[in-house]
Amino acid sequence: MKTRYLSLMLLLSTFLFGAKADSSIWGTNLLTHILEYDKEGSLHMGHWFTVIQSTYVKPVLLFVLTVIPLAFIVHYALVGPKRFSHKGKSIMMFPLFKRINHGVAAISFMIIIPTGIIMIFGSTFGGGTFVRLCKDAHAIAAPLFFLSVIPMLITWFSRMLFNLKDDIRWLKIAGGYLSKEKKPVPAGMFNMGQKIYFWIVTLGGLVMIATSVVLYFVDLEIIAPVLEYYSISQIDMLRISALTHNIIGIVIISMFMVHIYMSVFAIEGAYKSMINGKMHEEEVKILHSSYYKELQEKGEI
Amino acid sequence: MANTWGYGAMTNSLGDIQNAKAIIIFGANPAVNHPVGFQHFLKAKERNNAPIIVIDPVFTKTAAKADHYVRIRPGTDIAFMYGMLHIIFKNGWEDKEFIKNRVYAMDDIKAEAEKWTPEKTADVTGVPVAKIIQVTKLYANASVGTLIWAMGLTQHSIGTSNTRLAPILQLALGNMGKEGGGTNILRGHDNVQGATDMGCLSDTLPGYYGLSEGSWKYFASSWGVDFDWLQGRFKSAEWMGKKGFTLARWWAGALNGKDGNDKIHNAGTALKNLFVMGNGITSIAQQAKVKEGLDNLDMLVLCDPFVNEAAILTDKQDDVFILPTATQFETSGTVVATNRSVQWRNQVVEPLYESKPDHWIMFELAKRLGFYDQYTQGLKIKENKKEYKWPEDATDEIARIIKTIGLTGWTAKRVKRHSENWHMFDQVTGRGYGKMKGEYYGLPWPCWTETHSGSPVLYNTSRSVAEGGMGFRNRFGLEHDGIDLLAAEGSAPKNSSVEGGYPEINKDNIEKVLGITLTADEKAKIGKNWKVDKSNIIVEKCMEKGIAPYGNAKARAKVWTFPDQIPMHREPLHSQRADLAKEFPTFEDKENHFRVDTKYISKQTEQEWVKDFPINLVTGRLVNMNGAGMENRASKYLAALTPEMFCDINPDLAGRHGIRDGAMMWIHSPEGTKIKVKAKYSHSVSDDRIFIPFHFAGYFQGEDRTGNFPAGTKPYASGESANTVTNYGYDIITQIPETKGGLCRIEHAEEEA
Amino acid sequence: MGEYARMNFFCDERRCIKCDGCSVACAEAHELPDYISRRKVITMHEGIENMEYSLSIACMHCTDAPCQQVCPVDCFYIREDGIVLHDKDKCIGCAYCLYACPFGAPQFPLDGAFGTKGVMDKCTMCAGGPEETNSHAERELYGQNRISEGKVPVCAAMCSTKALLVGDSASISDIYRERVLSAGHGVTKQPYGWDVAYGNKK
Repeated sequence: MKTRYLSLMLLLSTFLFGAKADSSIWGTNLLTHILEYDKEGSLHMGHWFTVIQSTYVKPVLLFVLTVIPLAFIVHYALVGPKRFSHKGKSIMMFPLFKRINHGVAAISFMIIIPTGIIMIFGSTFGGGTFVRLCKDAHAIAAPLFFLSVIPMLITWFSRMLFNLKDDIRWLKIAGGYLSKEKKPVPAGMFNMGQKIYFWIVTLGGLVMIATSVVLYFVDLEIIAPVLEYYSISQIDMLRISALTHNIIGIVIISMFMVHIYMSVFAIEGAYKSMINGKMHEEEVKILHSSYYKELQEKGEI
Repeated sequence: MANTWGYGAMTNSLGDIQNAKAIIIFGANPAVNHPVGFQHFLKAKERNNAPIIVIDPVFTKTAAKADHYVRIRPGTDIAFMYGMLHIIFKNGWEDKEFIKNRVYAMDDIKAEAEKWTPEKTADVTGVPVAKIIQVTKLYANASVGTLIWAMGLTQHSIGTSNTRLAPILQLALGNMGKEGGGTNILRGHDNVQGATDMGCLSDTLPGYYGLSEGSWKYFASSWGVDFDWLQGRFKSAEWMGKKGFTLARWWAGALNGKDGNDKIHNAGTALKNLFVMGNGITSIAQQAKVKEGLDNLDMLVLCDPFVNEAAILTDKQDDVFILPTATQFETSGTVVATNRSVQWRNQVVEPLYESKPDHWIMFELAKRLGFYDQYTQGLKIKENKKEYKWPEDATDEIARIIKTIGLTGWTAKRVKRHSENWHMFDQVTGRGYGKMKGEYYGLPWPCWTETHSGSPVLYNTSRSVAEGGMGFRNRFGLEHDGIDLLAAEGSAPKNSSVEGGYPEINKDNIEKVLGITLTADEKAKIGKNWKVDKSNIIVEKCMEKGIAPYGNAKARAKVWTFPDQIPMHREPLHSQRADLAKEFPTFEDKENHFRVDTKYISKQTEQEWVKDFPINLVTGRLVNMNGAGMENRASKYLAALTPEMFCDINPDLAGRHGIRDGAMMWIHSPEGTKIKVKAKYSHSVSDDRIFIPFHFAGYFQGEDRTGNFPAGTKPYASGESANTVTNYGYDIITQIPETKGGLCRIEHAEEEA
Repeated sequence: MGEYARMNFFCDERRCIKCDGCSVACAEAHELPDYISRRKVITMHEGIENMEYSLSIACMHCTDAPCQQVCPVDCFYIREDGIVLHDKDKCIGCAYCLYACPFGAPQFPLDGAFGTKGVMDKCTMCAGGPEETNSHAERELYGQNRISEGKVPVCAAMCSTKALLVGDSASISDIYRERVLSAGHGVTKQPYGWDVAYGNKK
């Protein structure tokens, strides 16, 4: 099943690269899109793209990149990391497939996010060959992410569904991260924070993929009927895609930073569970108390 | 035109259109065909508020700039013009004085116009009554209006009648011989005027001299060759005076009446060899017949800078020769513009690769055929030289011989001087200043003498003959039906020694008309009349007295030698209105029309064409191409603008046939031919007609023939030729094909698997 | 506007007849590949009486050039005479300029990684680029530099009806005003695209 899935994904990705969109966006139809440019009743997307892109994107990203790490430093200094006993029994949390899956996603993120940031701050890096290579790497890593996000979505789907009782309580105490106490935190296999991150990265990631396909191929023929139905011009679709891509991108970047901080610093050694798949009993008991109960009920512990 | 007032050419100039107060563009599309010249139309509109009225079956790019667009049914121009004349006469808007003094038989026109009430005109032309009245009022009341036309008027079976009635409309309004007025026929290509002036026609010698023995003798002596030798080159003396085949129907000669094709009268033999210079073969009607004709030739020679697509069209395998010729940039010499003015063109580079100039090919051919000496004799006569100098001596030879249209002043030296000092002329009037004072740019013909100024506006009596003034030409005798054909008293050009009309000047009447006495020496020298007077004494004497050598007569509205003495509306052979085809039937079939029997009424009544072929077919040009288009399609950037053959089709019409925008469609002609083209939705055509451009070739009835191109010569764009589906039908006088008024049937083309 | 007059294009739609002389001259002069159209003539309301008009469009060299504002690598620069140029060595082919441009001027060759957007190409008003003026490198990357030779951009020079005007705005306004006034109409307003590309900036 897995091999079949992988080969299907490979086929899909080669199709994406093989599909040669015609050049009508800057060929015959390019200038006729002027009809849609900023006229009465149009979406004024050119205007909004220009304003948002030129005024907000860089400062907001800069803000995100500076303020969030600062917050982590403050947190680390005041609250400090959570340490759990690494003795005792460990529980198998992530089987091999899920770990590989997560690994692939991680690798693609390690390429996509820095290159994305470099592109947004392209002028700081002087543009030219280096940024162009980053842009190419950004594009190459995208299918990798696409390959990983689908099985992730499928295999973790049920565990990531919100459980209102636990999740709201988890939110109320902010996951217990604001205190040094080791009180059991209401959470299933995944806590509310992980769920939010998961849904943003997977669903947001799919939106990123979709917008990137629009941006990459510039004038996708397959979406033309859809655009026509909603009377959106190709150029406006591109603008919407670019804005969406950048805004969601920034959200994902900030979530990604939290994810890294949590796994590496906030919970000492937490990242190891994604390498060997195991989590120690105490950690599960505290941070995923509902899951711990569930396991106990099933008699697996 | 020539049959109305003497010369068949644009009377004014493009620059002069800026002086117009109203402009009618009738069956022409200058915005596409003359983009640079079109600025003068726009300036007239800008500066004079001159309304531009475009009368065309298709909403063209010119119509987009017009104040009034009249969507006329193809082939009903005469009806429309009579409709205009009806309103003009009814309201007394005609120029009565002008008509009385300078026009013959306008009463006959008036009588015919009487029948064309606005309602009748509207029925025939498809133009609403209100529009006819509005346009007529606007045009007739402008102080001077110019009438423009091109192939939209001429390419009809009644083309000659069209081009007679348009001048008559201008005569009725007194718009002739005035700045800002006139009949301005736009020549479609570079040097078309020059080519016709030089006799690239099958019924005239150079300079529109007829094929009579007198003309031949004049040319024989001017060329320095023996008349008997010249005559001996023909099959018999009788064939020397016969019209040849035309470009439109040469293929009938090759087919020689076989398989039910039209019979020919060619001394009992078929046309065997075809020598082509230029690209006309693939841009004339009935390509299927052209292909058959090409296949039946013994030998085919094509001289062209690019591969003439006739070579691609034919299945003939042997004896097809493609000779690469030099372009205008690789040769020098004179060219004649649409307004009859001449320019010297300089060589930019030596002929590239193995291409050779046209004259080189002709001379080599003459050498091998054994008459090179006689062929080039005329070049040496003027200065009695041993060796000629090309092309200057050729230009001087033309100036020396062609008197009819007054090319005497076009010596190589003068023409070059004009081209070198082109900045010394006014752009609107063409008048020179500084050292070019007293001359008009390009010496528009008639340029009577080597010091004459040229004539920028034909038939302008408000100027003296020395400054380019003249009356109408006395070409059709002195009287007809007892009515004097000479102009009335008081209508002579300025500063003329004669106040009224006078006949064309010849040896016998020169002393009487001019009131002079010639010396015995002069008498001995001068020729029989002004057209063949090698001494040019007649013209010189006329200039002194302010007399136009060709006389001062009335223009005639009636041509008594034509099948229709006054222009009459006749429906196209393939008419969209069967009822009107009965009311206005076409001509009787014509035997031996340029050596080919030509069908008229028998074709029109063969069946009710409109039943099976309900859609009007209009062909025309694209701005990025000309003629058969090979030259332009071989240019990357020009071909990119229209990379495929297409058909402008109204979305409603396309919808009825299930043809999507951008889908392929078949167009079927009554001749049984068909083409497959891409449909292009356009509102420029109404839902009863389609428009196709005629610049494509390389495909034939759905079959890709571009594999026939020699390696590396295939153009960037190829497609079906529009002329594969243009209909049978030829003008009754000139035999120009009726490409602007045909019928067709359309059909959705199945996508190929 | 400062002490320098700003160079502008203006297409008089009452004169433009869609002869495509400008676009072909441009492609020919700069030897553009066939998928790049720096200049294009578009027709609105084609075939509709009294409605159809055509316009020649390329980079309008906007005063507040949106392309320059959104470019992530700052490859655009505006000359003192207002000509908007860009540095192809800096450009990364992200196409943001295309999204920002109201005129669809930026063009992208299909020669970048995996056959999509390469480095952007657009009308230079025949003023070349940042390379040494009239150098081989400049010609290869940006085409002719006619401005440095004191010539009019090739499109305007080739315009058959002189619909396409180029020059400082005062001169163009004078020509346009003369054309309009001579027909007895009033001068309406400054042509679109000179001051602001979007909205009504005060």
